[in-house]
Amino acid sequence: MINLKVVSPQKVIFEKEVEMAVLPGAEGDFAAMVNHSPFISSLRPGQMAIMSNNKVEESFFVSGGLVMLKEKVCEVLVDQIEPLSEINNSNFQQSKTYQELEGNELALNTFEQVVNTPSYK
Amino acid sequence: MPNLKDLKTRIASVKSTKKITSAMKMVAASKLRRAQELAESSRVYSESLSFILSSLSGGSKDNSDLPEVLVGRSNPKVSLLIINSSDRGLCGGFNSSLFRSAIAWIEEKKSKGIEVKIMPIGKKASAFYKRSEQEIIESFEDINSNDRQLEVSENVKNKISELFESQAVDEVSILYNKFVSAIAQEPTFKSLIPLEEPNSVENSEESSNATFEFEPDKNELLEYLIPRNFMTQVYGSILESSAAEHAARMTSMDNATRNAGDMIESLTMTYNRTRQAVITKELIEIISGAEAV
Repeated sequence: MINLKVVSPQKVIFEKEVEMAVLPGAEGDFAAMVNHSPFISSLRPGQMAIMSNNKVEESFFVSGGLVMLKEKVCEVLVDQIEPLSEINNSNFQQSKTYQELEGNELALNTFEQVVNTPSYK
Repeated sequence: MPNLKDLKTRIASVKSTKKITSAMKMVAASKLRRAQELAESSRVYSESLSFILSSLSGGSKDNSDLPEVLVGRSNPKVSLLIINSSDRGLCGGFNSSLFRSAIAWIEEKKSKGIEVKIMPIGKKASAFYKRSEQEIIESFEDINSNDRQLEVSENVKNKISELFESQAVDEVSILYNKFVSAIAQEPTFKSLIPLEEPNSVENSEESSNATFEFEPDKNELLEYLIPRNFMTQVYGSILESSAAEHAARMTSMDNATRNAGDMIESLTMTYNRTRQAVITKELIEIISGAEAV
């Protein structure tokens, strides 16, 4: 289990033990698991998935940020994050994240794409 | 001899002042708690960010390959000072002690031949510097909600990057009141360009223990990180300053309430003495009138 800590500039969004977290790294998705080699990467807009037993437990949209991966800790510094559990095709444009990203075409298109056709589900 | 009626109105007005100051004290106390929580919870992000930044830049002892925006220009000519004041008054020496240290700082820079430009945050600082001869670049006011605090930090960040790139400024520092405790605030300077590393020795040791792989490469990451870092630093100092402001207001309103209490006491004493004197005087008049008959 790896300690996944998701932090926004305002607060710690959540912190918990997970088996694996898939993150949209700047140069491709990667999975954070325990004993990964120390690694720092920026994030592109995309889907973040928490997995156990090869199933997605929770899924989020992140608009960008940074990841710092150490042996037992995975720290994700996000700009904006939206849990996808209550978001669907009809209401995603009302979400706070969507409104805050106004003007950022790349992030908005990715958001729509993640909502409609998530890579991990 | 003071007039009875005047004394009465005086007491009534001091009483209502006391009510206002004690209400303000209570409001400040509850706002302080919220501001402290905000400052506390934003610290996690900024600490991680500085850690990443120091492991990116701390690896090599040689600074030459690092971008200017991190290490600063060798011959600074213009320095930008961001001053984080409050929007409202009635908070004791909060703003004046801030301006005092700003003036000393500006004098010191001037003696080194560096021109200083100001970017005030908060109404008090912009009002203060409008009256002075310092050049104001842009001022930000009405920092009263958390959303607004974020927005302002974002704008300040953009402005800093723009000014530095266009060579309009060579150094950037931020001045804010640090929240020491509920009764003490301390004007504090923090240098953004060149970046000040708070405990560089500790950090570089830690970062050399874990050698990180970087993706994309160091320079690209730095390009993303540095503006982020400005924004978090500015945001952090705005939050810190707002906590300090509420603390300052709380203590000064507490003092004001106590002073009003003392004043009411002494006024009531005078009022009672005067009343007694009036009664005695009337009695004497009646008695001496009766004796005369």
